[in-house]
Amino acid sequence: MHNYIAVVFDDTGKAYEGLHALWQLDDAAEVTVHGTAVVHRDALGNFQVDTKETHPALATAVGVGVGALLGLLAGPAGAAVGAAGGAAIGAATGGAVGIAADLGRADTRDQAAGETRFVLGNGQSAVIADVSEDWTSPIDTRMRSLGGTVYRRAKSDMEDDVWFDDYYIPNSYLYPYEYIPSSYPLW
Amino acid sequence: MGKMDPNIKDSLDHIRAATQELHGAISDAAAKRGGATKADLEAFAQKAKAAAESAKGSLSTQHDAAKKHVADAVTQLEATQKHIAESLKSSGQAFQTSVQKVLADARASAQKISEAVAAKRSAASAKTPK
Repeated sequence: MHNYIAVVFDDTGKAYEGLHALWQLDDAAEVTVHGTAVVHRDALGNFQVDTKETHPALATAVGVGVGALLGLLAGPAGAAVGAAGGAAIGAATGGAVGIAADLGRADTRDQAAGETRFVLGNGQSAVIADVSEDWTSPIDTRMRSLGGTVYRRAKSDMEDDVWFDDYYIPNSYLYPYEYIPSSYPLW
Repeated sequence: MGKMDPNIKDSLDHIRAATQELHGAISDAAAKRGGATKADLEAFAQKAKAAAESAKGSLSTQHDAAKKHVADAVTQLEATQKHIAESLKSSGQAFQTSVQKVLADARASAQKISEAVAAKRSAASAKTPK
């Protein structure tokens, strides 16, 4: 099955361990990873996506893409605000900024939690990934061992959502290989 | 999945690595202060051409499930080359905009090859007795 997943961790270091583990599963042919990104939410609720795209227009595009993906993973309730918040996520490249509309807003959070229970809380980090997997257990088991919580939506479900728009096809903004910024020299 | 020997890398794995490397090189260049240069693009054109030729050459040996994805990847790699050629003729903002098109093409080719790998793995897994 072709799925999008979000693996939520309580700290950034663990998120990068999770990212590495995901690509190790790909190398072992347990799953196929098509793309990944790491997103953080700081203590004040600001989002930041780790990217090397420093061109302002591209950073915004990446933010819109990843923001839309967060919304898609959060279900219909999160879609509109995910896309709206995405531009701010892009603008946060290299430094967090506040966003006006985001998944942390109480009404949205409650609705999204009711649908998929995926919420990135303040201070948490998430690995977002586009994967093909015949079984969910390899990712679930490995991520659980690292302290991560896996949320998953089928790509087909996301495409069926009425608000899905080709403009927001988000996998273009995920790195198609393991990308770890130099600020996280874990390996 | 998980039934294949991960130590055995076939042509598709190598083409996947080539498209990943191409995307990485283009995005590194785009992220540089001042952006990508024409010299960068000339190097990318060679890499895209080599990856396209490898992918085309491997088509006949691919599993049916993977063939369409590989063919799509070839199309994307050819688009990458076309946009690189256009970039080399442009300048200023138009040049930087065309670099973004090149990056998007390279990303799409990596995606298609990755989907071919997934299809191949899934087919191999289905054949393996559980």
